[in-house]
Amino acid sequence: MLRRIQYELSGHLVGPALLRAKEWRRRRSRRGRAPKAGPFGPPLESTRKLKELMSLHYLQGRFADGAVPVAWVTSGFPVELLRPLGFFTLYPENHAAMCGVARTVPELSDAAEKVGYSRDLCSYARTDLGCVATGKTPAGRLPKPDLLACCTNICQTVLYWYKALAQRFGVPLVVIDTPFVYGEAKPHHVAYVREQLEELVSVAERVSGRRVDPQELVEVTARAKEGSRLWGECLATARSRPAPWTGFDGFFHMAPIVALRGSEACNAYYRLLLGELKDRVARGIGGIREERHRLLWDNLPMWFAVRELSTLLAEEGFNFVCTSYTNAWAEAGVRVDPADPYGSIARAYTHIILNQDLTNRLGILRRLARDYACDGAVLHSDRSCKPYSIGQVDLKERLGEELGIRVLLLEADHNDPRAWAAEPGANRIAAFMESFA
Amino acid sequence: MAVLPIHYPKEILTALDILAVEMWGPPGPPRGAAAGRIQSYVCAVVRNALAFLASGGAEVVDGVLFPHTCDSLQGLATQATDLGGWGKAAFVFQHPRGGERASARRFALEELRSLARELEAWTGRSLSPELLAAAIRLHDEIDGCRASLLDGRARLPIGDPELYALLRRGEWLWPEEHLAELRSAVGRLGPEPAQTGLPLLVTGYVPEPMSLLATLNDAGAFVAADDYAAVGRRVVRRNGVADADPWADLISRYLAHPPCPTRGTDLAVRMRHLVSLAEASGALGVLVHVQKFCEPELFDVPAILAAFTARGLPVLVLEGELERSLSGQAETRVEAFVELLRARGRAA
Ligand code: SF4
Ligand code: SF4
Repeated sequence: MLRRIQYELSGHLVGPALLRAKEWRRRRSRRGRAPKAGPFGPPLESTRKLKELMSLHYLQGRFADGAVPVAWVTSGFPVELLRPLGFFTLYPENHAAMCGVARTVPELSDAAEKVGYSRDLCSYARTDLGCVATGKTPAGRLPKPDLLACCTNICQTVLYWYKALAQRFGVPLVVIDTPFVYGEAKPHHVAYVREQLEELVSVAERVSGRRVDPQELVEVTARAKEGSRLWGECLATARSRPAPWTGFDGFFHMAPIVALRGSEACNAYYRLLLGELKDRVARGIGGIREERHRLLWDNLPMWFAVRELSTLLAEEGFNFVCTSYTNAWAEAGVRVDPADPYGSIARAYTHIILNQDLTNRLGILRRLARDYACDGAVLHSDRSCKPYSIGQVDLKERLGEELGIRVLLLEADHNDPRAWAAEPGANRIAAFMESFA
Repeated sequence: MAVLPIHYPKEILTALDILAVEMWGPPGPPRGAAAGRIQSYVCAVVRNALAFLASGGAEVVDGVLFPHTCDSLQGLATQATDLGGWGKAAFVFQHPRGGERASARRFALEELRSLARELEAWTGRSLSPELLAAAIRLHDEIDGCRASLLDGRARLPIGDPELYALLRRGEWLWPEEHLAELRSAVGRLGPEPAQTGLPLLVTGYVPEPMSLLATLNDAGAFVAADDYAAVGRRVVRRNGVADADPWADLISRYLAHPPCPTRGTDLAVRMRHLVSLAEASGALGVLVHVQKFCEPELFDVPAILAAFTARGLPVLVLEGELERSLSGQAETRVEAFVELLRARGRAA
């Protein structure tokens, strides 16, 4: 009972008040200071709301276990089915990205490596397993899970990772296994995923002690679909010239569609962001001050170096106007249909970019490059994300040949700065930019 | 037909008279420039396979089967067929992951039938229930012999290099020929232990380079219990209870495989299995022999370390990259490990 009160208060009363006070202090300390001149356009106003939304989520999470059922969930998991059961959902990938931005990954990874996890494993997994081992997190505290929910549509790595979590926490692990798609999914593949969704619901109902209300499921599904649509519209504003924001901004602003998908808070946020982006388009305000070249980014970002990279590029007039990663969250939800939640969720979550063949991937990159009028592309060859990176050497050749654009294959890692050679990397980017002269 | 690792329905291939030739790499340096089309942080199995396929090394076969064993092999399957490297017939086999469930059973059956239909169309042959049942019986018998050899390892008077060369010939021989030589090896099992070395449990991916086995034997140890993905993890032990419907029987056979991380086996289940292997064989130490960058195997290493350390069994983790021979450094580590076990034995 006490836990529940703490949880509700942190989410609805104390948390928002604390965050408002923090924001007030921040503004006061900045009063009188002129905004820094730099290569970027004026900062997005919505960012404050984004920070508030995500901080509140993690703040509430500190009190979630014992108050409401808690699920740790992979980013590609059909979370729509957990929402009607009142789960607080924690996304270890999203949390690991936070650690990446906070540059705490080497320390956390070391802790994971100490118990035997190889440094060659996905750095999100190492970060998370390090957090679990040490209890260290920039969020203050993570709630313990009652359920682990993993979907193999992004990779099979998550299955091995969540098995380790299941052993550690001794709680049920539900796996939604999505067969890989060549062209379109075969009917028996979709039927298999659909059947697993039903199996998932029975486990999740047992854990939460509640039943899925079909009407609520329809509503959540409709909200998730709407969230994806809104997110897609936000991304699409970058087709304008200049793009009103940068692809790197998009990496941060995707947090709600990943972690709060299916909630009204998520959709309200994207309506706000979309309004601001449209306004910037109307007023000709760009994400960077002087947009001379428009680039496409493939794969996850390098969370620990987003600012440095975007500054380096923006200073020379280069903007990432689209990324295959942020785009994935706009495309998946479109297939969801509230009239047929189970069937459409099975289809939508099977047709995720990483669960489809390279012909499809090439098609997406080609389309993005054309739609967003890119004259170059950077393919981040992500050392610890094999599913996203295999094939990129060929994709680089194909994109260059077919579209006549310059393409750079940049080897790094999405979360572990130790795999990024900063100086040679910056030199490669500089040489890439010079090739546009 | 060339077949990539690890698990695939060999019974269907046998029933359709298709010779499976497994491609574990092949080992050694990549045989062609196409290895450079896959980043160096991907395992050697996948990089070597693309190089081999793209350079025409597998021209002798008519088709390739890509089991969706892991992210990397899944990536290879689409890269080689969609972006170049393999232009002849290609098939995929996707197995269910995430534990035994009604959905997984149904999916496995559908997937097997779907693959069988594709292979029927490709070969122009028809897969009758009788042919399938006969193939299952053949593979049951093969596995029975392999199980006898592995379970009775200490009573077999041959060295590990010879035993593994025999077991691994099953990767490319016609099953009947392989069965004949397995039977004759089973005939050599004696009533008393013939191995005098220190017994080890070896778990890992594939015994490459094979010289590792000679190094172990020379150092005074032998593989008493095997959990290599390429060997022991593919030996099905069944009590001769066959389902009348060969398709249902095929599924039962599939589900009866020992635990394997690539099939998403629960960690506790796998650790229980490994511990029981060690106990039954009297293993005094554990060698974990994995491929660098192999996520399915590497993720289980901490659990293996914890399980055996808790039981007082030393563990050596050895990473390989399909080298042609064991590096001097790896050799020294193996020898030092065996020496450590020997010293512990003396102290005890
Ligand atoms: S970064 Fe790649 S390997 Fe890691 S969890 Fe995400 S999709 Fe999987
Ligand atoms: S060695 Fe591991 S990562 Fe490589 S193909 Fe085999 S299972 Fe996959």
